[in-house]
Amino acid sequence: MQDAPAAPVAAAPDEFMPARPAAAIRGARLRFGGTPLFDGLDLDLPAGTVTCLLGPSGVGKTTLLRLLAGLAEPEPPTLVERTGPVAWMAQQDLLMSWLGVLDNVLLGARLRGEPRTPALVERARGLLARVGLAGREGDRPAALSGGMRQRVALARTLMEDRPIVLMDEPFSGLDAITRLRLQDLAVELLAGRTVLLVTHDPLEALRLGDRVLVLTGSPARLSAPLEPPGAKPRAPDDPALLGLQGRLLRALAEAAA
Amino acid sequence: MTGAGIWRWLAPLLLGVLVLALWEWAVRALDVPVFVLPAPSAVARALVADYPLLLGSLWLTLKITLQAFVLALITGVGLAVLFAQSRTLSAALYPYAVILQVTPVVAIAPLVIIWVGYERVDLALLILAWIVAFFPILSNATLGLTAVDPNLRDLFRLNGAGRWQTLWRLQMPSALPYILAGAKVSGGLALIGAVVAEFVAGSGTASGLAWRIVESGNRLNIPRLFAALLLLSLLGILIFAALSWLQRRLLARWHESEIGRGA
Repeated sequence: MQDAPAAPVAAAPDEFMPARPAAAIRGARLRFGGTPLFDGLDLDLPAGTVTCLLGPSGVGKTTLLRLLAGLAEPEPPTLVERTGPVAWMAQQDLLMSWLGVLDNVLLGARLRGEPRTPALVERARGLLARVGLAGREGDRPAALSGGMRQRVALARTLMEDRPIVLMDEPFSGLDAITRLRLQDLAVELLAGRTVLLVTHDPLEALRLGDRVLVLTGSPARLSAPLEPPGAKPRAPDDPALLGLQGRLLRALAEAAA
Repeated sequence: MTGAGIWRWLAPLLLGVLVLALWEWAVRALDVPVFVLPAPSAVARALVADYPLLLGSLWLTLKITLQAFVLALITGVGLAVLFAQSRTLSAALYPYAVILQVTPVVAIAPLVIIWVGYERVDLALLILAWIVAFFPILSNATLGLTAVDPNLRDLFRLNGAGRWQTLWRLQMPSALPYILAGAKVSGGLALIGAVVAEFVAGSGTASGLAWRIVESGNRLNIPRLFAALLLLSLLGILIFAALSWLQRRLLARWHESEIGRGA
């Protein structure tokens, strides 16, 4: 159990990590219909690393993510710190069904009133090509498969070029093979950014995370960070990873009981 | 076109021809008086003979219907946008919109005609047809504008979209299928409203198709009554077909209701 606020920063051995986390929540408190969801919870996102957050449904993972995104009002004395703007990717692709693929990727720029310069469009096309959707720029989302749509959403998230990326179960609605491929792609494309990935899937967390945290209990507490060995994305059949997966599953099952 | 596709057109057409033939034969064989049931041939003759008169009436009814429909579209969507912006406003106004809707238009018609005056009876007809037509658009547009996926709203918020942008780039497109469905109902209602209003006005100052029906009935000119009725049905079908076409045009390729229909 992680109770001391400074623990993760001091304990993490990552040599690239600066002293200050890219984003953090301090002393989070939230009551939901009388029962406390959190009380004095701290979460740090060390800069340039991928933090994966696991936990049973309803424990408050998404709430933490929304607090970090600024989409939920923090209840005093909660403090939310961010060193830069965030990009957000949800479980649903959240594509505008009336816009084509390219226009969906350019949505953020359009809403900010940025001119649609050839350079901007070129960058969007480049991102679509990297997620394997070259030639589909004019298609409507309805013409794409679930995996393709999620790839468009990933391209849109990356188009924002934000230093902090918050992902809420981005691959959970996909079949196993598509999910593996998208995980590999995400590791490649998100390199260097500060990422919080909320997930239900222990294997996903272990493949993609520099640090894996488990959120359990009521009020919820974070586990000590687990740091899977090896370079990302880790092989899904790595015995060490499978051992850790078993441990995480057991911890989650015990928390749910 | 496939065999099944041809049948979809041909089957109702053949049935129609068959019924007309049977009708014609029955009227002749049973020697039915023309003021009870005219044969289709007599209706066709009336249609040709009274062509200028009926066409004038058709134009008047069409004009009122279209004006009422466009007015309903503008006011319905406009009011729905206001409702979507403010809960208080919506709570204050919505009950009155409902009252306007549930009060039978026939009951309000005499009052509206008196207020507007017989010398401007077209305006009275327009108001009455509008009252009938505007509610489906208002209620559908309000539903569509407010039923936007909250996650999409969050996405817009994170991208710094303001109220205006959220309305134009998110709520309006999301509401479009709802608005079009409401418009399809309203198009038919606008015609019904125009006809009912003409019936109530019923003095000959408004000589639309409904008035022709009343007049022909009074004069026992039943073939002309049938001819006017036929034109009225055709007008209704035309409005419905045009709005269905528009719906398909605007929603094809992106909305669930039109995808996979081979549009």
